[in-house]
Amino acid sequence: MPTPIAMPKLGITMEEGTVVEWPYAVGDRVEKGQVVLIIESEKAEVEIEAAETGVVRHYYVDAGDTVPCGTLLGAMTEGEDDGFDVAEFEGTHAAEAATQPGSSAGRAPRRPAPPRPSAAPVRRLGAAPATPAARVRARALEIDVTTVLGTGPGGRITREDVDEWAERRKRLVVVAQGVSLDVPQHGSGEPVLLLPGLGTDVSAFAQQIPALSASHHVYGINPRGVAGSDAPEQEGYTVAQAAADAAAVCDVPAHVVGASLGAAVALELALAQPAKVRTLTLITPFVTSDARLDAVSDSWSRLAADVTPDVLARSLLPWFFSAAFLADDTRRERIVRGLGTTVARVPAATLHRSVTGLHAWSGTRTADLAQLAVPTLVLIAGGDLLTPDATSIATEIPGATMVLIPGAGHGLTIEAPEAVTEAILAHLSAAS
Amino acid sequence: MARTLSFTAALNEALHIAMEADDDVIIIGEDVAGGGGRKDQGIEDAWGGPFGATRGLIGKFGPERVRDTPISEMGFLGVAVGAAATGLRPVAEIMFIDFLGVALDPLLNQASKMRYMFGGKARVPLTMRTNVGAGNRASCQHSQALYGMTVAIPGLKTVIPSTPADAKGLLLASIRDDNPVVFCETKSLMNSEGEVPEGDYEIPLGTASVVREGGDVTLVGMGRTVHTALEAADALAEDGLQADVVDLRSLYPLDEATVLASLEKTGRLVVVDEATPYCGIASEIGALCIDKGFDFLNAPVKKVTAPHTPVPFSPVLEDEYMPSQEKIVAAVHEQLGWNT
Amino acid sequence: MISREEALDVYQQLRTIRSFEEKLDTMMKAGKMAGFLHLYVGQEAVAVGVCSHLNDRDYVSSNHRGHGHCIAKGVDLKGMMAELFGKKTGICKGKGGSMHIADLDRGMIGANGIVGAGIPQAVGAALTVSVKKTGGVAVAFFGDGATNQGQFHEALNIAATWKLPAVFILENNGYGEATPAEFAAPMTDLAVRAKSYAMHSLVADGMDFFDVFEKAGEAIDRARKGEGPSLVECKTYRFLGHFVGDPIGYRTDEELNDWKTNRDPLPTFETKAIEMGLVSADALRRIDAEVTAEIEAAVASAEEAPFPSPEDVLTDVYVTE
Repeated sequence: MPTPIAMPKLGITMEEGTVVEWPYAVGDRVEKGQVVLIIESEKAEVEIEAAETGVVRHYYVDAGDTVPCGTLLGAMTEGEDDGFDVAEFEGTHAAEAATQPGSSAGRAPRRPAPPRPSAAPVRRLGAAPATPAARVRARALEIDVTTVLGTGPGGRITREDVDEWAERRKRLVVVAQGVSLDVPQHGSGEPVLLLPGLGTDVSAFAQQIPALSASHHVYGINPRGVAGSDAPEQEGYTVAQAAADAAAVCDVPAHVVGASLGAAVALELALAQPAKVRTLTLITPFVTSDARLDAVSDSWSRLAADVTPDVLARSLLPWFFSAAFLADDTRRERIVRGLGTTVARVPAATLHRSVTGLHAWSGTRTADLAQLAVPTLVLIAGGDLLTPDATSIATEIPGATMVLIPGAGHGLTIEAPEAVTEAILAHLSAAS
Repeated sequence: MARTLSFTAALNEALHIAMEADDDVIIIGEDVAGGGGRKDQGIEDAWGGPFGATRGLIGKFGPERVRDTPISEMGFLGVAVGAAATGLRPVAEIMFIDFLGVALDPLLNQASKMRYMFGGKARVPLTMRTNVGAGNRASCQHSQALYGMTVAIPGLKTVIPSTPADAKGLLLASIRDDNPVVFCETKSLMNSEGEVPEGDYEIPLGTASVVREGGDVTLVGMGRTVHTALEAADALAEDGLQADVVDLRSLYPLDEATVLASLEKTGRLVVVDEATPYCGIASEIGALCIDKGFDFLNAPVKKVTAPHTPVPFSPVLEDEYMPSQEKIVAAVHEQLGWNT
Repeated sequence: MISREEALDVYQQLRTIRSFEEKLDTMMKAGKMAGFLHLYVGQEAVAVGVCSHLNDRDYVSSNHRGHGHCIAKGVDLKGMMAELFGKKTGICKGKGGSMHIADLDRGMIGANGIVGAGIPQAVGAALTVSVKKTGGVAVAFFGDGATNQGQFHEALNIAATWKLPAVFILENNGYGEATPAEFAAPMTDLAVRAKSYAMHSLVADGMDFFDVFEKAGEAIDRARKGEGPSLVECKTYRFLGHFVGDPIGYRTDEELNDWKTNRDPLPTFETKAIEMGLVSADALRRIDAEVTAEIEAAVASAEEAPFPSPEDVLTDVYVTE
């Protein structure tokens, strides 16, 4: 006797459903409990499990079709050769369905389908809800609240976000035709450019800025699409363009400090426009990404589209910090908060564009390191999982100073803030 | 000159002052003297009230004005209402607010409604002192925080001081108010001490007090939960968050302006109440924020209350029942999206 | 004993209560009034017999069937009528209605919609006159039904223990709403309940002004002299239903007709008073006419009076000055 697969009635309000997907082809064997059908009802996808182990014999309804609850969708038999007649079974089912409304082939759905990776990120720039106070403040400041980046729970836009946005928009620096970057500045003296890594903003240098700005004019450069900077619609934000943007911020030679992808930008700037660079500091740099860096950057941009900043920050912890650093619960939670706020300022679209730029740049400058003629400091984290070639960079740049911080993770400015600050200050004073 | 007094001593001082100043003030309740004032046997006040707040009054003002009653809450509360409507200014003591279960009619249908139903011609200057709150292992029928019920009755005022100084000033104001006032004394605060000014002073009913200033979040408490909120404010300060702590003091009339001004400043509000969660002050504060403070809201209003259960006995259970510093901190973190 | 002048006054009150209530019954049934009306017809001798001993420093608390007590305590008739019409000129500005008429200036501390609730309030008023030593007394009027309420027992216990100048007037009209008294309490004379509180008690014929006047007088004298409270049970009968619209059905026509024919307090008073040479029938008929005119005037005045403004709903909740 064939087993019917019918459109289930899930809840009292459901009247019809849409077949989204048949995961198996006709003739496939399906184990009891496996998902034999995915349907959509009232905007939610539901997986339907096979009630019995068997072989799929026929599908009466195609994926994409919407039918009333109870409609026969498909049929299975125990063995592949068991007797089965397509038309006869449909007739039998129709007669049964008339006396047993609501009968269905599947057991109760196991659970709603998990969110699937989607091309359209759910946490897009401006898509998050804004608190009433944020809306009122935005109106008062004549800001379109939907443009503000939210750092509240679930990316909610708070009043503080609006205020910060307004501040950021005040300090914009034009770097190209129609493109302005959010460049927080501190202190006075010789210029220092700070270039943050992938998916972060200048706040990654928060613990270095006070000491640096005591004797220097610090320009923190939030790249395209990050924090308050403009986010022009481009396929990718290239490293060369980021270097050009950095050069445009300050027209005199500067001490250039970059971390990770920011180090790539700094390196690119030093190679492309050496006259603009007085000294170079490369923190956990890479010139060629490996499969792990690729995997992290890929999962990062997917997560940014689908999860809250808090969850994203937590998922990044093992990549950024050492076990010893994370062992302190209180510190770990504080780091999550800070990192959560930071990653909230980088929309998924920006991440996607930055990763595209990273891939395009990877491997293009390996041979050029020997040409570098500026005084260079390379800061290396002993426990860095993401930059396998950092040590060779330090070796290949002529005259480069290498400082190794044993055991530390990739997020060096946060995990070893004092050591980083000291090394940079020493490097700057040695150069002058 | 202020001295350090216990909550109970501050109440006692207020009662002495009120009775001294006005012959119409009488004290009525179970064991407000204790021993019934057996002067002939050398006994005046064996108890002076269940918590000692009325000690010494019978000796000074005599048994005519300080009356031990039978254990008869409905009866003596009704008597107090009748006395109030006819020219006395009684201070009646319902030992535990839980006992309103057998005594509600004089409050619900009589004292609260006389002025209105008699067209504005009655005055019922009754003060009903009563003990509220949990945390003393007194279990289900001696620990409730039922002031939400009296706040819901038009015609009554309800106050709940959190410090000895406020207790004295609010009690004097309550006794001299021409309306029936439910004066809630929090069990767990009775032995707490604080600076209390000397002499006769009143704290106007309907005025909240900002007991700590901060710009990041507003914590609203009443009675004991003011202290819990202050502890939470200390803990939050360690995270770099500064809390504004508002002590409501008066639940009706409610000082809406102070609550809203604080919300406007901070954008975030957590209301902490040891009463159960539904149809209570916490919900009322939440509604106020939505109704009149909507544009100030920078996060959802959070209620930290007791659960929707009776008050349990076992220390482990009762401690879990009470709003705690940790629960308040967690609520603030939730507003900020921390640890979520 | 009462004087001739007082007898006329007594009759005038008996007649006023009777006519007032009958007028309300008619108007209610004609759809001219709203609300619950519990009428006092048949029990007039109790209110008048008791209140004849009282003055303005004495207090009275009443119950849901309170119009008679109010009139006997001297509450203004026009103010009462306007109140029953829900008018702004009502004695309670239209906010109380039938069950909540009060006039504190007259010592009338309130009719009451909660059975038994007025009793402790009268004890409270007795406490006031005791503490303030005004020489006053406080009287609680209530029915047989109220003696089954906790407030009755708690209040009597306190009053007796404290020896307060209170008098409890139990109007036993035989029915607590629709339930005969014998189905609600196991004794015939509810006055015995006073014995639980070692309280003096008396039983009076509630249909006979003179008997009520005598027994209530004794109780009030004792209270005034500081001899403590008393309970006076007045055996009486209501000629109408529990409320206007009561389908009754719980008592026989024979029973009702017997009370109306043989024990109506107005003819009973008239016969006795004439026999005693206190009044003449002519004088009483003149009073009848005056009372009718007065009640018609009160109705006319109430009908013409303005309703409260809608915004008045918010006033008089609290003392604000």
